[in-house]
Amino acid sequence: MSDARDDTSAAIAIQGARKAYRPIVGAPSRDAVCDVTIRVAPGTIHGLLGPNGAGKTTTLKMLLGLVKPTAGTFRIMGEDSTRPAGRRDVGFMPEQPYFPQHLTAAHALRLYARLSGVPKGEIASRTSALLERVGLAGRDRVTLDTFSRGMLQRLGIAQALINEPQVVILDEPASGLDPVGQRDVRNLMLALRDAGVTVLLSSHQLSEVETVCDDVTIMNAGRVAAEGVLDSLLNIEGRTSVRARVPGDALPPAVASRAESIAVSGGLWVFSVPDESVRFVVDAMDDAGGRVVSVMPMRDSLEDYFARLLAMTAGEVGSR
Amino acid sequence: MMGRILPIASAVVADSLRRKVVYVVLVFAALLAFAIPSLPDYGLGVQSAVFREVALALAYVTALVVTLSLAANRVPAEVERRTVYNVVAKGVSRPEYLLGTWLGVFMVAGGAMAAFTIIEQVVGYITYGEIMWQLWQGAFAVWLEMGVVAALAVAVSAITGPVVVVTASLAALFIGHSRSTLLGGEGALDLSPFYPSLDAFNVVNPVAHGSGVPLVYLVSMVAVFVGMAGLSLIVGSILFSRRDL
Repeated sequence: MSDARDDTSAAIAIQGARKAYRPIVGAPSRDAVCDVTIRVAPGTIHGLLGPNGAGKTTTLKMLLGLVKPTAGTFRIMGEDSTRPAGRRDVGFMPEQPYFPQHLTAAHALRLYARLSGVPKGEIASRTSALLERVGLAGRDRVTLDTFSRGMLQRLGIAQALINEPQVVILDEPASGLDPVGQRDVRNLMLALRDAGVTVLLSSHQLSEVETVCDDVTIMNAGRVAAEGVLDSLLNIEGRTSVRARVPGDALPPAVASRAESIAVSGGLWVFSVPDESVRFVVDAMDDAGGRVVSVMPMRDSLEDYFARLLAMTAGEVGSR
Repeated sequence: MMGRILPIASAVVADSLRRKVVYVVLVFAALLAFAIPSLPDYGLGVQSAVFREVALALAYVTALVVTLSLAANRVPAEVERRTVYNVVAKGVSRPEYLLGTWLGVFMVAGGAMAAFTIIEQVVGYITYGEIMWQLWQGAFAVWLEMGVVAALAVAVSAITGPVVVVTASLAALFIGHSRSTLLGGEGALDLSPFYPSLDAFNVVNPVAHGSGVPLVYLVSMVAVFVGMAGLSLIVGSILFSRRDL
């Protein structure tokens, strides 16, 4: 009952997704994706993480009707997205977007606008506005066979947004982009979220995910290995991170006895202490003439969390 | 529905215009059309009939090359290059995609036939001083047959590559024009009504040697075209809908 309610309120709801392949006739089938459930709240950026072969792209393809699921339900804004009508309010940028090479950038966007049912009178204005938004202003008459990988990537984002969708699904959007382009894509995703658009982001770039995503689903070996709000996944229970400046070359002894994971750079000390010692440590720093710069819940880096999780689930998969 | 089919068809047309094969085939066919009157075994009084017969054969080969070169490769190439992802993800159904692709190929074949028939008319008028309006009927019949061939090719291409598509299409053409050879005369088990014959589109005799094709026959040709092309596209859509992209 609660599942049904969640499915209708979620912008994207994948329930019990499974995809089995049979390499050759008669051979046993192999699950590329098994019992994957993902819910993406409206107006959020949801990260889909996982190593190569984790099943991310297969899951996205099932969601978008590109691959026939063996089992599961797939809904976007409450509509069955395996049916064409359920995908008309969606923008999708595949990993490595390809376009008919003989078209110009403007022709390509016009084609996708017409396929998306954009009113004729709005096609030209949306095309030029989007080309400018993704950094391709002035390239509208250039044929795509002369575009670089990064330019095609930018055009891929533009075609995903041509129908002003409520849900945008991006598969490795920053792949092939230079650092400025990666920053532009991050800002674009944040702007979309601010405008109320839901973004499902599949990415290998953990820093990108950590920067923009509200919550994540981490997949490994075709299954969901972890999911939830990024902060609660990465916060380390029971420990607090302290940044402080102290006179001299060492932490005060009363603080040093409680501190762990100590690092120092340019006179700035970073260390963690048990939550219950925070008040004591702050007072001790004051007494020693130091200055506490920040006190915050201790947080893992997504990279460390990801690596640890994959190591754990690899053991589980091996024993399955 | 047509709002999604027509953009796909126009993309196929635009793609075909940049392909040199359409122009090369047309130019080559035009050169041959200009050479027809110089054939050595022309008999007095039948020159224009022989011209129409050879011109129709040339038109058939031209249309077949254009149709197969486009229809056999389009869907496999789009799947391989993944350009089809952007289309299907936009809410275009797979039957709409196949229908749009077929319609684009059919339109290009029609354009090629029209261009070639105009060339034939010019050559016929210059050489024999007569307007050979029957050639338009022949071109129409060839165009409809190419529509059926294109539908079959697009349907087969939904699940396999260009080589198999061309082989299957040529085999279908051979079978389609071999009813009398393969089934023989009437017997106890007369299967001819169920034979997938393409002979309905063979109008060489009335176009080349007669006084044209009756209107009722032209209408019946359209009915056969709709039935055969429609059936091929339905089967192709079912196959394509079951396929992982």
